[in-house]
Amino acid sequence: MVETFTPAVCGSRSRQRLAIALFALAALVASAALGATLGFVGSLVGTRPALIAAGALAFLAALREAGILRLPIPQSRRQVPERWQYDLPLPLWSAGYGAGLGLGFLTFQPVATFWVACAVALALGNPAAAAACFALYGAGRAFMAVWPRHREPSGPAAVERLVGRASFVPRANAVVLGLAVVLLAVAPAAGAAVTSLGRGFDPAADGRTLARARMHSGTIRVLVAPPAPAPTDTVSPAKAPALDGDYLAYEDGQGIKVIDWRNDSLVRELDGSYSHPALDYPLLAYIRDDGAHERLVLTDISKPNLDEQVIASVRSAADLGRPALRGDRLAWHRIVHGGSAIYVLNLATHNRRAIKRTNVWMEANPSVTSRRIVWVEHRPQGSYLRLKWFGSKQTKTLMHVSGRKTILWTTALTGRTAYVTKWTPSTQKAVVLRVSF
Amino acid sequence: MRRPDGLFDGAARALSLRLASGMTRRSFLGRMGGAVLAATGGAAVAAAVRPERSEAFHFCGHIWTTGSCPNPLGLPRIDKNGFPLRPSDGHPIDNLGRAINAEGWAVDGSGDRLRSPDGEFLPRAPRTRLCEDWTNEHYKIGSVMQGAWYRCCNGQVRKLVDCCSYSTKRINGDASLTGYCFDGRRVFCVLYYDSGLKC
Repeated sequence: MVETFTPAVCGSRSRQRLAIALFALAALVASAALGATLGFVGSLVGTRPALIAAGALAFLAALREAGILRLPIPQSRRQVPERWQYDLPLPLWSAGYGAGLGLGFLTFQPVATFWVACAVALALGNPAAAAACFALYGAGRAFMAVWPRHREPSGPAAVERLVGRASFVPRANAVVLGLAVVLLAVAPAAGAAVTSLGRGFDPAADGRTLARARMHSGTIRVLVAPPAPAPTDTVSPAKAPALDGDYLAYEDGQGIKVIDWRNDSLVRELDGSYSHPALDYPLLAYIRDDGAHERLVLTDISKPNLDEQVIASVRSAADLGRPALRGDRLAWHRIVHGGSAIYVLNLATHNRRAIKRTNVWMEANPSVTSRRIVWVEHRPQGSYLRLKWFGSKQTKTLMHVSGRKTILWTTALTGRTAYVTKWTPSTQKAVVLRVSF
Repeated sequence: MRRPDGLFDGAARALSLRLASGMTRRSFLGRMGGAVLAATGGAAVAAAVRPERSEAFHFCGHIWTTGSCPNPLGLPRIDKNGFPLRPSDGHPIDNLGRAINAEGWAVDGSGDRLRSPDGEFLPRAPRTRLCEDWTNEHYKIGSVMQGAWYRCCNGQVRKLVDCCSYSTKRINGDASLTGYCFDGRRVFCVLYYDSGLKC
């Protein structure tokens, strides 16, 4: 490969430099594109299976490189097509060579590390991050086309010198892969892919549609953003959104309104001291405050007369927060002077249980689907976004914000995506984060 | 007394936990890569951090013995009932370490109640006793405040309180001592209460 970029092939020094530049650029772009693709696929399939696969692959690859295990690896025995040099113009063949080598899997791979890197890119579950990491692979390819010539005028001789030291590469590779196994083994504790979605707070999600509240010129309004290219719908004044398909529940000065947000038609209106709606149409949960007590109420808004069912009650000094309702499960928090807890009521079985109870920390703002629950745990050291599968005893930390200046606040959950408000009380700056797990 | 190597191990554990739990997976992997490079210079840093000073001085009035009970802000300062206070000035704090007013609501530096992003007042966080609630939740040992002794600190009488349990291990991880505990209990961790009485 190195000897390809010589004046003998390229025609002159300037054409040689052009060929190398195009080769390097194409290698970078191709490897970044491969990384982005893998990261995108990872974001769709979920990062945990890919992370486990990457760790296992890295372990096997380390054994292979150390010579302990003999394992075949997926391999294309081809090299770059030589005839391109003669059939195609220089810019095209040099860029083609770069792209082919940058993609990696089209040409011969002497070590297994490439496939481990592919699995890690999947595990990242973030196209931009995976592209940035994989671009380094393309940079390495480009570097190897340039560097031997830097110290050795003859390209083939430089390659021969490298081959002479080839026994060092598997040993170094085995060490690096061993380190990768360790890092991948501890990585699950580090959480999930986090993306900022910009200003806003109190997220509500259903499928790929996200609603959030946002302060605008002193007024709080609710933005409902369906998947592109559909336009964002705005409701003002409104806050504390809850979303279920085309239905949006929100709080305003009079109480709670439920609308069809696609055509802005009113579905139901509850006037009074009602707040914090949670919607799983036709069921609506909300907080009713009579001054002395806060009560969590569940009702069916499709019926002409509201039949209110009180689920939980606390004195007004305590807090029931923002309930969540989805998939036959109603979740809420209860924060009192002596502790806090997250509760879930199964509406099908009427079984109520505490998901988390503590005398010390503040457990708050749950969101549910039929299979999972997320909530925020506040500690002096920071706030933690926790996840639990119903039926499992284990709790997973999706993300963590250190300190007391910036905290995590309200949440939303849909499928394998959680949303959380990250908020700085001193500046009142709030953003919504998307957490893919 | 906590041995220097124990202190170093604790710092390493804390660093590992912080690395693992304080980041997203992406930033974690990135920083671990940086940590590998930084490890070469780590020995010099470790040599520069001398543990003897922090070993000898726990807090005023308490030297060389049992460690602090779990607390929000690093030092186990309590009021007369065992609830947490801010170590620097004795202001009442909730379990999250936030300053609170007389009713228990979190307040800012001006004493105004904190508000959530939508302008509503923030809920009150729990405020519970460091020995009976915090230590019990962390270690499940049935701890209670018992004996106390007194020292003069910063010109006022400081009451040092033993948080006692039947555990034969103390919070440091080694064997517990009887100290000022009674009814067969031993010292698990310690707290202090500044009385305000001049000395």
